[in-house]
Amino acid sequence: MRRLGWIYLIAIFTFIFLPVIVLVLFSFQDSRLPVPPFDGPTLKWYVQVINDRSMMEALRNSAFVAFTSAAIALLLGFLAAQGLSRVILPGSVLMRGLLIAPMTVSYLIIALGLLTVFNNLGIRPSLWATGVGHVVINLPLCFAILFAAMGDHQKNAERAARDLGASELQVVFLISAPMLKPALLAAYFLSVTFSWDEFIIAFLLTRFDVTLPVEIWSMLRSGLSPATNAIGSIVFLVSISLLVLLEITVFRKPKS
Amino acid sequence: MTLEHEERRRAFGFVAPALIWTCAFFLIPFAVMALLSLAHLEGRAIIQSYDLGNYIKIFTEPSFFKSIVVSLEITLTVTVLSVLLAWPLAWIIATQVPPHYQRLAIMLAVLPFWTSYVVRSYAWALVLGQNGVVMQGLIGIGLLDEPIQIMATRTATVIGFVHFFVMLLTLTIYSNLIQLSPNYARAAADLGASGWQTLRHVILPLTLPGIMTGAFLTFVLCIGDYITPQILGGNNELTMPQLIMLQLGRRGDFPMASALSVVLMAIVTLAYAATARWLKMERV
Amino acid sequence: MMQKSINAGLGSLTAVMLSTTSLWAADELNALVWCDHTDPALLEPFEKAHNVRVNVKEYEGTAAGLAILDQSRPGDWDVMVIDGVDVGRAVDEGRLAALPADEFDTGTFFPEVVMPENNTRDGVTYAVTEKFGYNTITYNAAKVDLEDMNSMSSLWSGKYDGRIAIYDYYLPLLGLLGLEQGVATSDLDADAVEALRDRLYALKEAAQSVSDVVASQTALATGEVDVVIGGGEWLTAVLAAENPDLNWSIPKEGALRWTQSIAVLEESENKDLAVEFIKYITSPEGQARLATSSCYWAMPANASAGDILTDDEKSTLRWDQQADYLSRTQLYPIPDADLDLAMQDLWTDMLQQ
Repeated sequence: MRRLGWIYLIAIFTFIFLPVIVLVLFSFQDSRLPVPPFDGPTLKWYVQVINDRSMMEALRNSAFVAFTSAAIALLLGFLAAQGLSRVILPGSVLMRGLLIAPMTVSYLIIALGLLTVFNNLGIRPSLWATGVGHVVINLPLCFAILFAAMGDHQKNAERAARDLGASELQVVFLISAPMLKPALLAAYFLSVTFSWDEFIIAFLLTRFDVTLPVEIWSMLRSGLSPATNAIGSIVFLVSISLLVLLEITVFRKPKS
Repeated sequence: MTLEHEERRRAFGFVAPALIWTCAFFLIPFAVMALLSLAHLEGRAIIQSYDLGNYIKIFTEPSFFKSIVVSLEITLTVTVLSVLLAWPLAWIIATQVPPHYQRLAIMLAVLPFWTSYVVRSYAWALVLGQNGVVMQGLIGIGLLDEPIQIMATRTATVIGFVHFFVMLLTLTIYSNLIQLSPNYARAAADLGASGWQTLRHVILPLTLPGIMTGAFLTFVLCIGDYITPQILGGNNELTMPQLIMLQLGRRGDFPMASALSVVLMAIVTLAYAATARWLKMERV
Repeated sequence: MMQKSINAGLGSLTAVMLSTTSLWAADELNALVWCDHTDPALLEPFEKAHNVRVNVKEYEGTAAGLAILDQSRPGDWDVMVIDGVDVGRAVDEGRLAALPADEFDTGTFFPEVVMPENNTRDGVTYAVTEKFGYNTITYNAAKVDLEDMNSMSSLWSGKYDGRIAIYDYYLPLLGLLGLEQGVATSDLDADAVEALRDRLYALKEAAQSVSDVVASQTALATGEVDVVIGGGEWLTAVLAAENPDLNWSIPKEGALRWTQSIAVLEESENKDLAVEFIKYITSPEGQARLATSSCYWAMPANASAGDILTDDEKSTLRWDQQADYLSRTQLYPIPDADLDLAMQDLWTDMLQQ
């Protein structure tokens, strides 16, 4: 049984890592085709993508949309979770359902709906339009994580603060938010990740100021080259570094 | 009484911004799109005819109807395969790996999740091609005489999908497994159950919520995905999102794209209804 | 050298990351284009010379391009690259602005691609041809019988089953299938198109995939397929250095010639700059850069570009054989909106077979 387990583990990890290893390896390919035999290593494709103006702009656009839209989604989700967890409102089940609903819908549908409405209103596709869409997909996530994290001990602390004369805003931002810090951080960074990597909404709702996944997609469609591997490897490296950084700073569990 | 009233008013004030956002940028757009799906394209003009012409075409035109079938077949295959592959992985990590290393193991298991989503499918295209490392490797060790065609087939699409969703399901199932008390297994053993029986009749049913939550997310994300079948499927058949993008990108046919999206939405809603009793969407 | 360019790269990365406002000059030109126009090497000389920023957005088919214009506001777009045979459709819809014809000397152009019947109407010029090439048969010479490549019909013989990729664009492919059946592209009407259905399905049956530009390139370069129908120099030129066996030729049935035109949009609020841009693109320098643009290579419409292109580039483009190719190829079919939709429906049906 134990041996079987190890064999399974090795097989499945091979499956999981195979494309990543191939991707990174052939980013160092010397010739134009990222297929065996490997004839590298060279860093020229990295130099090429780093010097690519539109790729670097896309990188900046993606970072901007991800951090901004995640912040808005977090704020809205946090407030909603506050409201719905403190008292039972009439129709609160319905409201919860509505807030969660976008999570159960394909992104393509959300994108097409927004595109239709924006077209009718004469709003140009832009980074902002994309950001609006990303808030729609991340709001349910933030709400769900924070709603689940709010418990009785927190309600008690809030009540105590209120009894002591704290204003509503003071309660929310000085009592509730700090108590929920781990959940808030988790929700925020998960939202950043989803927005950062989202393709179809950004594809349909941007014009010139595209995000990184869209830029990579057009790169992919305009010619086969290890440069695609290089940008993929860079994104991977940046994500992993951020992840490790977060892991050892923010999410490190206190030793018990 | 008034205090409670005041409290409710205030609570509603907190919920309102999120509700307004969701209504303005999710509900209303969907309604507008549904309305648009009742129009049709004539030449290049959109005629608002308020009829079901697009829907009739979707369900009677073989090439349109087939996209529903193709999408469902691929999505169900992917969901089942992903669950079958992810469950043992989650179980091994949760029970066989020392607790101290579990977090590391689970992070490793989902590491490729952090590559760019567009690039991931492209990487599989490189891996699965006739000159790719898999075929050349299999030929190298003598298992194959010549490469077999996997790239540009449904198999390639399924492999690309399964790779992603195994990671997702491993997460949901693992988080379900570690919440189970070890007492269940102990009690079953005390009652004389074998290891296998315990697994099959005690542990497995208790992980149904994790499985179902992950399976539902897999279903939704898979059936709505355009990139993976477009890169790996070789256009040998069309899924619903591919057909939708074809309507948008080539024909400029917004009404038909909307109608297809409404059908896609209906399918997802059915899937939700089928799995709803196990889902804890608020606690993903 | 390497170190220096890495430093330069990191420097520009930092600059881009730090700047929160636009780095660029206030004046912008918005262009709706094909992917060859996104090459910075093509745009930068113009941007520097006029101190402007050229924004480009790619689109796929003419119908989709016109739909983008429908959904835009006046002034959103200044320049459009459009299929030569579709200029008439755009003129019908009143999309294109009249060009100052005297500023565009087509005297040095390859005469076959000036196409006044497409680019002008009632003596008014609306567009200028900028680039052309062929949709024909591309193949790996090491893997096929060269004899077979003289006839399109050999693709249906069974000999190449599973080794063919179909280029995913309905207009040239239906045109090629018409030629194979002895129908000139100008005679392709609704009935003639419908008559191609079985032939198209049979081709799909024999094909490994229906692929866009990169997927066809990948498939051909990695040995996944040996023949691409619909391909041409635009498919093989960038791979010529890697694999000299990749080749293309025009079979005895003939093949299709594509042309792309560039035009100023009627609703542009920046027409003078747009005209300047077209002048640059059709100048010998712009033409040479466009011909060898990173997305795909193809022949420049203006033969003066030959003075700037290197001999290697010209031989990759097969500069010297153009007279023969031009005489043996036909323009794309020109469907009206209804026939266009019918063709696309047929194409969708084929994909789903």
